[in-house]
Amino acid sequence: MSAAGALLDVRGLTVRFGGLVALDGVDVAVAEGETVGVIGPNGSGKTTLFNALTGLYAPAGGEIVFRGRRLAGLEAHAIARLGIARTFQASRLCLDLSVFDNILIGMHAGRRTGLVDFVVRRRRFLGEIRAALERASHLLALFNRDLPSRGFERVGQLPQIDRRRVEICRALAAAPTLLLLDEPSAGMNPEETAELMRDLRIVREEMPGLSVVIIEHDMFVIEGVSQRVVAFNYGRKIAEGSFAAVAAHGEVRAAYLGTEAVGA
Amino acid sequence: MSRDLALVWVAEAAVFALVIAGILAERPWALGAAGGALAAAGALVRWAPGLRTALARAFARRRGAALGCGVVLALALPLALRSSPYWTFVATLALLYVTIGQGLNLQIGTAGVINLAGAAFAGLGGYSVGLLTVAAGWPSWLAVLVGPWVAVTVGAILFVPILKTRGHYLALVTIAFVFIFNILMNNLEFTGGPQGIKNIPTLHLFGYAFTTRPVLAGVELPAHANFYYAALVVAGLTTWVLRRLHDSWLGLALNTLRDDEIAARCSGVAVARGKLLAFSIGNFFIGLGGAVYAVIVGFVSPPDFDFGYSLVMLSVIIIGGVDSIPGVILGACLLVPLPERFRFLHEYRLLLYGVVIVVMLLYRPRGLWPAQVRRYR
Repeated sequence: MSAAGALLDVRGLTVRFGGLVALDGVDVAVAEGETVGVIGPNGSGKTTLFNALTGLYAPAGGEIVFRGRRLAGLEAHAIARLGIARTFQASRLCLDLSVFDNILIGMHAGRRTGLVDFVVRRRRFLGEIRAALERASHLLALFNRDLPSRGFERVGQLPQIDRRRVEICRALAAAPTLLLLDEPSAGMNPEETAELMRDLRIVREEMPGLSVVIIEHDMFVIEGVSQRVVAFNYGRKIAEGSFAAVAAHGEVRAAYLGTEAVGA
Repeated sequence: MSRDLALVWVAEAAVFALVIAGILAERPWALGAAGGALAAAGALVRWAPGLRTALARAFARRRGAALGCGVVLALALPLALRSSPYWTFVATLALLYVTIGQGLNLQIGTAGVINLAGAAFAGLGGYSVGLLTVAAGWPSWLAVLVGPWVAVTVGAILFVPILKTRGHYLALVTIAFVFIFNILMNNLEFTGGPQGIKNIPTLHLFGYAFTTRPVLAGVELPAHANFYYAALVVAGLTTWVLRRLHDSWLGLALNTLRDDEIAARCSGVAVARGKLLAFSIGNFFIGLGGAVYAVIVGFVSPPDFDFGYSLVMLSVIIIGGVDSIPGVILGACLLVPLPERFRFLHEYRLLLYGVVIVVMLLYRPRGLWPAQVRRYR
């Protein structure tokens, strides 16, 4: 695919931790409305890619262009405000806060009221927050109709699958143009994974223009949701293309099964 | 519904009456009786499930009335304590701790910015009032309005570089700052050294001197009642502002960066800016408490603002309830008067605070009045 029309264009991205090269000259492009699956063994650089994209790591080389803008030097919160939202492999919800609060924080950057409204012109603030709570309820109801009624419970009281959903809602609440999902099926049993795939399809239908990059170990999820797959090993991109093409790629099979198995 | 109303008023009036009885009891047996009655009432509510749910329901349905009744009782307190200027002063002090505690709670409780220099920031407010009135000749009310900004400015300048660090660096630096502040106040000439600043003029508002004895409902009150009401207004306004800030985008963003900084950053929260804002707003109210203290007492000196008081302020939050606005009020109203009532334990005061904090953290880590989830009301 051509990089010129891409929403996200990563060129020659390199991330180093001391002597360790975690990402080594990686090129990835994502088009508008496209879902790209990222696969690779543990430690191959998938999450490092996400951390560099969201500004948590400073790249040692290469460049990231998002909607025609270079992200070099921008802080994580500034990148988030440009429209990149993400989830984390190990859940990063605030368990003591309510379900609604965990989603509302995603809308925090788009707020239109300030300190004076919070204290003196309270009605303006409450009007805005009421609309935000309604949107949070709407997002929750997409995945589970019972969740909006639990909005004022602490998120720590929800089961694992619903927590994952709240985290996806938090990312969607920011109305992003690019959504990064870091191994959403981690720690889920097959039934929960099936529910997750249904959830991801709902996201696709609700937000057709949204681009998604998803890291997954579960090949059924990758095959089911992604239009294009990128495979990583040792910080390098080793294959790219349709799921079938990447799955058949010799280097990918070697990375997952070991060279002997492929050679045999 | 009117039964709920009666229940709310009776409960609050009963607690008020027992507390007053306990404060004014002169003989040990009277104190014991008042304390025993309070404990018995508490146990009754705790172990009688019917009464407990009825009370909880009444307070939940009649939030406005419960608050109104509390305000009425707070206004009536100087009348009940009119025979004792000393206890009127202690009540005033408790209200100043409410003000300071709310400011500190925004930093420590809401934003997780561990500030152990509460005493120093209160001292900056207090010393500013002392210098502005005694040395520069400003009127007291103007100095009280300016003092808190000194605390904010010094805090912002000193701590901008440190706010970006993570973990416990800030806590350590704030500890160092209290000690530096004390050494400076002890040794600088223009702050009066160990003697401090004396003869800070009292408040005059619209020609009314706060040293005149006020008459309320035909009863003459001690002059300290003036300061009690001033401190009540300050504590009330502070609580009102901070409750609204807590239940807002700001409170939400601060809670998020406290619980998970990475998640906050990836949700678009400017973490360093949020911490600085929380730190500055908090220091404003801590400084305000110190400034009002200076005009009430009439003098400031280094031992009024030493590290021990930072720990008292911290205890108010931990015992009341971290990030809980009503908890701060409860914590201040327990921690300030109780040690005064049990003067004979004065030597062991800090030790007792330590024991209480450890017990609280072990058995009731969320405090006596835990923070509730935000409802945006």
